[in-house]
Amino acid sequence: MSTDTTISQRPTPPSYEVPKVIRFGALAVGFLVLVLFPLVFNNPTISTIGVFAMIFLMAVTGWNIFSGYTGYIALGHAVFFGIGQYATAMLASYWQIPPGWETFLLIPVSMFLAGLAAIPIGLIVLRVRKHTFIVLTIALMFIFQLFAYNLRGWTGGSQGLEVSQPPWDGSIFNLPYYYVGLFLAIVAIISSFMIRRSKFGLSLLAIRDDEDRARSLGINTRNSKLTAFVISAIFLGAAGCMYAMFVGSVYPQFSFDPAFDLELSIMAFAGGLGTILGPSLGALIISGAQQYFLITFGGANVFLIVYGALFILILRLLPGGVVPAISDKWRSHVVRKEQRILDSELEGPAEAGAHK
Amino acid sequence: MLVLQAIIEGVLVGGFYALMAAGLTLVFGVMDIVNFAIGALIVLGAYLSYSITTHFHIDPFVSLIFTTPLMTALGMVIYVFLIKPIKTNKVVMSLLTMFAVATLIEGILDICYNSGFVQIHASYINNSLRIGKLNFPLIYVLSFLLSAFLLSCLYLVTYRTKFGRSLRASMQNPVAARLVGIDTDRVSMITLGIGIGLAAIGGMIFGTTNAFNASSSYDIISRLLVIVILGGFGSVGGALVAAIFMLVIQDVVAVVWSPVWGSTAFYMILMVVLLVRPQGLFGKKGVRAQ
Amino acid sequence: MHISRFGSVASRHKVQLGAALSAVALSVTGLAVPNANAAPKPITIGISVSLSGDFSGDGKATQQGYKIWATWQNAHGGILGRPVVLKFLSDASSPTQVVTNYQKFITLDKVDFVLGPYSTKLTKPASDIANRYHYVMLEGIGGGPSVFSRGLKNVFDVSASATYQLVTYAKWLAATQKPQPIAYATMDDPFIQPMVDFAKKYLDAKGFTEAVYKVYPAETTDFSPIASAVAASGAKIAILGTMPPDGYSMIQNFIQAKYNPEQLILASGPDQGADFTKSVGITNTEGIMVPNTWIPTSNYPGNKDMVALYIKTYGGDINSINADVPEAFAAGQVLAQAVNKVGSTSNVKLQAYLHSGAKFTSVQGPVQFAPDGENSGAAPYVFQWQKGQYVPVLPLGGPDKVSPIETLRPAWGTTPGM
Repeated sequence: MSTDTTISQRPTPPSYEVPKVIRFGALAVGFLVLVLFPLVFNNPTISTIGVFAMIFLMAVTGWNIFSGYTGYIALGHAVFFGIGQYATAMLASYWQIPPGWETFLLIPVSMFLAGLAAIPIGLIVLRVRKHTFIVLTIALMFIFQLFAYNLRGWTGGSQGLEVSQPPWDGSIFNLPYYYVGLFLAIVAIISSFMIRRSKFGLSLLAIRDDEDRARSLGINTRNSKLTAFVISAIFLGAAGCMYAMFVGSVYPQFSFDPAFDLELSIMAFAGGLGTILGPSLGALIISGAQQYFLITFGGANVFLIVYGALFILILRLLPGGVVPAISDKWRSHVVRKEQRILDSELEGPAEAGAHK
Repeated sequence: MLVLQAIIEGVLVGGFYALMAAGLTLVFGVMDIVNFAIGALIVLGAYLSYSITTHFHIDPFVSLIFTTPLMTALGMVIYVFLIKPIKTNKVVMSLLTMFAVATLIEGILDICYNSGFVQIHASYINNSLRIGKLNFPLIYVLSFLLSAFLLSCLYLVTYRTKFGRSLRASMQNPVAARLVGIDTDRVSMITLGIGIGLAAIGGMIFGTTNAFNASSSYDIISRLLVIVILGGFGSVGGALVAAIFMLVIQDVVAVVWSPVWGSTAFYMILMVVLLVRPQGLFGKKGVRAQ
Repeated sequence: MHISRFGSVASRHKVQLGAALSAVALSVTGLAVPNANAAPKPITIGISVSLSGDFSGDGKATQQGYKIWATWQNAHGGILGRPVVLKFLSDASSPTQVVTNYQKFITLDKVDFVLGPYSTKLTKPASDIANRYHYVMLEGIGGGPSVFSRGLKNVFDVSASATYQLVTYAKWLAATQKPQPIAYATMDDPFIQPMVDFAKKYLDAKGFTEAVYKVYPAETTDFSPIASAVAASGAKIAILGTMPPDGYSMIQNFIQAKYNPEQLILASGPDQGADFTKSVGITNTEGIMVPNTWIPTSNYPGNKDMVALYIKTYGGDINSINADVPEAFAAGQVLAQAVNKVGSTSNVKLQAYLHSGAKFTSVQGPVQFAPDGENSGAAPYVFQWQKGQYVPVLPLGGPDKVSPIETLRPAWGTTPGM
């Protein structure tokens, strides 16, 4: 058949993945945009959107490391967000840290404490299977919220705690928070990337696909799950610390907030649960939109309606999320191109033959 | 004395939670879905009863005539359009879908009613029943009687009717049930309808005994989930025992120590029990029991 | 919901740029003739109000108060001869949202001034953010100690602060009643709890004992355990640190528990007029007391106008005006007086002037600011419901006429209805 020679004449085999050039290009552009964002849009209200976007970025990426890779949807991770916030507020006042650059040193401390708390918590909640797990994490979050309300001596009860704000000038106030947040978010993404490509990551994915089988293959599922749980908690603790420092006040209903978990899951799902960059994309878009809503409409809970409806739509239409949808589109584009080439090759010689 | 009063009040209120939890666990048993939206639906029922009673000046129990069929229909609609189409990973996807539905309902209620706290007022709201030295608000007693009545109805339906047989069959083994000709989809749809109709009633009861607003849904759903886990997913009897047990403990701790430690105790007990028995008090490991 | 973050902001900037350019072009070509009789540029004031959430009832009243003030002020020459324009955003009773709102007002909308939100809980973060951008925070509804204890120099409260609100009652109690056990129950709120605690401190020192003292978190919805504890204490005097919905629930629980204290005072709730009488039932209101910074019938400057304007705009009668209305109105009054004296829209100059010991007048009485921003010229009243009427009973010997105070409440349900 004459197709043999035509195929072998083609220089490179088709790739079903988005070409590396496009991928790196997009990453580079994205990185540049993120770095320059607050310098171009230097109105404090606008750069505030950026700071919150960074906080959510690191939180969602961290959450994805556990829930995305293992398939255990943890709807109570606000616990670690809240632990990060309260640890920051309590330590800032206990250690008498002066407001300013020194407060940023609490970030690694919060991360450590959140990770530490994740160990006993993880040992308890990871004993059960998936649906009980989801519910258990929610119950856990409410327990912490109640502790925050009740242990008034430590946590200030409903009056909450304060983190003193640095006396920086209003026009550049947001910049340090943004860049530290960006740095942490990048660390989170790189960690996610490294985990995904590692053997540890493979074991997590195996758990997601079929836990019993993974166990029978010799994977220590308990340790893998716990490790991922702790790592994700660490990033949520960092996010909590940044939030407490930036907002300046810590309250029980906002530190341990079920709506926060909803936001995390919708961002991850929208972007692509289980992918590396998907959750980040989801975080940027949705937290930006949320801030926009809050600025324009004030506190009216319009965005709850939008979230709910959006989430339902995503679960029905795009359960994979945006990033896999993009790769799927690319793949079908390549396949269609392939098919067209094959078809034309089949027809070409046949036509030539027919016209002989 | 105070403790005795707290125990009895715990039983009275526990009856209402038992009714709601029964609906929740039944739905899980038949369809393998966690109806996460039940908290928001109960609040919806509460608001509907509230609006009807304040606009038309009728008794809250009477408002049920309107709210219950409405919400039963809503339940069936939710099943057909949102739950039935889910093909893969049913447990997790349905849970998330219901989570989204709950958020949607909460947002709508928040916009419509402005999130100030309200409470349904019956004309006899301040009356209480006196037994010896103890006083029990009449509304609690009436709610308990209603819940007990409905639970008995539920029992009768499940064990004495043909539909109940199909229900139990679907719970035990959906594939086998389908093989003998039971339309499990129809059974599921009706079950969800019943579950949400019960939520309408529960909403009215909740609304008369508590000040509430749109975000009360979180409190309700987390308590119900705790009760259902404690009782064991799928076990209605377990839900009943767990509900009364939890509410009594909560009320006693609230009176003896402080109200919010009462709520904390509620959740802590769950943790403790699960450490020892991950399948709950009456659940069986991996097998769903009735 | 398909809003790309960059897209919306960038296109908004483009539109603004385009509009600015065309305006410049028009004026240069003389097509836009400068109008000698053009209206003076308005003075814009940004205010965050709680239109939903826990504080929504009071938040709406706060907004009404500010709006009435703007109407009244504009009828009296505005500020610096320019009309007052108010911008509102809802904060849903959230301390994080209130920060976003004021930040937007100041940095995006570039308002001339801001006025305070409802409640100490929200005023605290609001004044922080105003301080960051060097704006003055004049307010009438944020009097908890935490607002003044942080050393901010930009916050000024025109109403009496928390520490003094219940002390009028405590002083009278100590002077006229025998020391006896008192039941206390309070919400854990930065304004309400200090009110109760300061009164308690005063009374403890005078020999009154504590029959029971319960603190509950703001999120509590079930008050029967607290009410039972108070009822079980058998105390004849109950001081409750509650906000409207809690107070109403607790009174209901008292009725159900058949507990009827001889004296009952609530931190707030009975001052909400029609809301109170409807929720609790007018026949149950006899003898219930509440502190307040305002007398509806007073002759203080602007008060008669405010009351008339309120009734004309929103209906009801003089007793249905929520106490937040005059508090907001007063904040606006002081702002206008101060800015008019200073002669410019500079917040820096305003702050210096407010700290200079200058005296102002308001519908709630005289206003003069202490160094920490509290109003050292204020004297709170105590009101009581008597026969379906809301009348002032304390302080005795002050400039306003008060009715005799009822010291023994009748059984529940015996007040003559309206």
